[in-house]
Amino acid sequence: MIEAGRRSFNRIALAPSLVVLAAVAGLPALYLLVVSLTPFQLANPGSSSDFSAPLRNYALLPGDPRFINSLLVQARLSFWSVLLQVILGTGLALLLNVKSRMVEFARTFFLIPMVLPPIEVAVIWKLVYTPDISPLYYAASLLHVTLPALTSDVSFALWSIIIADTWEWLPFTFLMVLAALQTIPDEYAGAAKVDGANPVQIFLYVTLPFITPILIVSAMFRLIDSVKAFPLIFLLTQGGPGDVTEVTNYYAYLLAFDNNEIGYSGAVTVVMLLLVSAVSLGVLWMGRRREALA
Amino acid sequence: MSVRPSGQASVRRRIAVVLTLLILLLPFLWLLQMSFKTNDQILQFPPPLIFTPTLENYSALWHSAFSQSFVNSLLSASFSTLLALLFGVPGAYALSRWSGRGKGSLRFVILVTRMAPPIAFTIPFFLFYRWIGLLDTVTGLVLVYTSFNLPLVIWMMQPFFETVPASLEEAALVDGASARVIFTRIMLPMVTPGIAATAILCFLYAWNDFFFALILTRTAARTAPVAVVNFMNYEGWEWGKIAAGGSLVMAPVLVFSLAVRRYLVSGLTAGAVKG
Repeated sequence: MIEAGRRSFNRIALAPSLVVLAAVAGLPALYLLVVSLTPFQLANPGSSSDFSAPLRNYALLPGDPRFINSLLVQARLSFWSVLLQVILGTGLALLLNVKSRMVEFARTFFLIPMVLPPIEVAVIWKLVYTPDISPLYYAASLLHVTLPALTSDVSFALWSIIIADTWEWLPFTFLMVLAALQTIPDEYAGAAKVDGANPVQIFLYVTLPFITPILIVSAMFRLIDSVKAFPLIFLLTQGGPGDVTEVTNYYAYLLAFDNNEIGYSGAVTVVMLLLVSAVSLGVLWMGRRREALA
Repeated sequence: MSVRPSGQASVRRRIAVVLTLLILLLPFLWLLQMSFKTNDQILQFPPPLIFTPTLENYSALWHSAFSQSFVNSLLSASFSTLLALLFGVPGAYALSRWSGRGKGSLRFVILVTRMAPPIAFTIPFFLFYRWIGLLDTVTGLVLVYTSFNLPLVIWMMQPFFETVPASLEEAALVDGASARVIFTRIMLPMVTPGIAATAILCFLYAWNDFFFALILTRTAARTAPVAVVNFMNYEGWEWGKIAAGGSLVMAPVLVFSLAVRRYLVSGLTAGAVKG
């Protein structure tokens, strides 16, 4: 009797959430899928219900050089920024992993780039990359170095995004690794030291095996989120020069809201969503394996 | 490099920490000091180390359309937070006491809604709003923000409910309290800190949004982040205003997020690792 009352309360408490979730997330996802099966263009309203060739958009994708290029740009951007964030984040965590009031106080300030609104990060880097007002260009001129216009140079544009993205998300990997470092029992390093291990050996054989799982998990998270680097690209390079920094997310945005090709953009987005879901499933699977091992 | 987890901080390490912090935050501090300079001072190199700070950029913003977009940001972030808490907190409680099937797949759904690139939701919301006339309204923004804040609330609140000892509930049950009374009188007061932390995170995510506001608003419901970027595109590079507007948008974020830094990671990794 009590159990029954409780179960019905649970149902009543959960139902509204599920309904709202279905309405604001489920329905849009479904609608996106439907739109991707049509040749819908905003200028041509009748095309929104034209299902005569439902898979046409998807069939076009493999032969679209801009789409293929956007995947490659995304892969390059994700690879380098995730790699840099993991390496530098680990370094920073090692540096700050000491019991000291002052260092513990400083830790908080290292988090600032991550909590800033992403568009403000883009504004900050726009400032760094704008020659007239940039402290970077001023410093370079003091050293008699002439910097090219970083965001509009074919060979630097993607790196200008990678650097800004790394700056923004370095605190995330730093926080994750620091949390992992703090769970390593002191005795491990102490015992290795007694056995005559040097700091590098202690890092390679004691610390690294301990933090590897968290390094992989943070890398996966950053990999998933690196798809969202929209504000940086929007403000710094607009996908250019040419299509050097045009990632899939930005291409889908241009298609839908610049070219009004809603249907085709929908197909690009669905493919992107599938890729993100695959990585998310991987994260879940690894999380479960870790729980099973623990 | 020492890897001793609990070594005392040497002087060299302290210096390294301070230097790293300064270099890392230099771009951010540069924007901040720019907001207190006139446009002439901003373009002056070498930069004057000592200058009389001016508030003219801030007062110019106050008297422009920017103040309205600041209010829009406040309204849309606050209401979407309230809405997400209203639905999400009871839902999270029910889920934390749920032993039935379907929990795993719900977890996946929540993860995907958090991880999906915003454009996936923007296209359907844009078409729908165009149809029912919700484009360029605060109501429209509130609904969109709820689509990512509700999963966040459901995810973040569960561990808080799980930490409340079951014996408390059992004792109340024996005393004849109904499930509703247990939830409102016993559980809610116990998880107030969790609700506060979750509310702040929800507010920040909505406040930080740029993409949805860029697509779904024009002028009437424009939010502060979009307004700052507009200073770049149309009003000819007024760096003083850009810096001041940027600093105003960053201010609440810095204050709030440092208050909930303990929960930042669980918010960011919502759905995939346990609390």
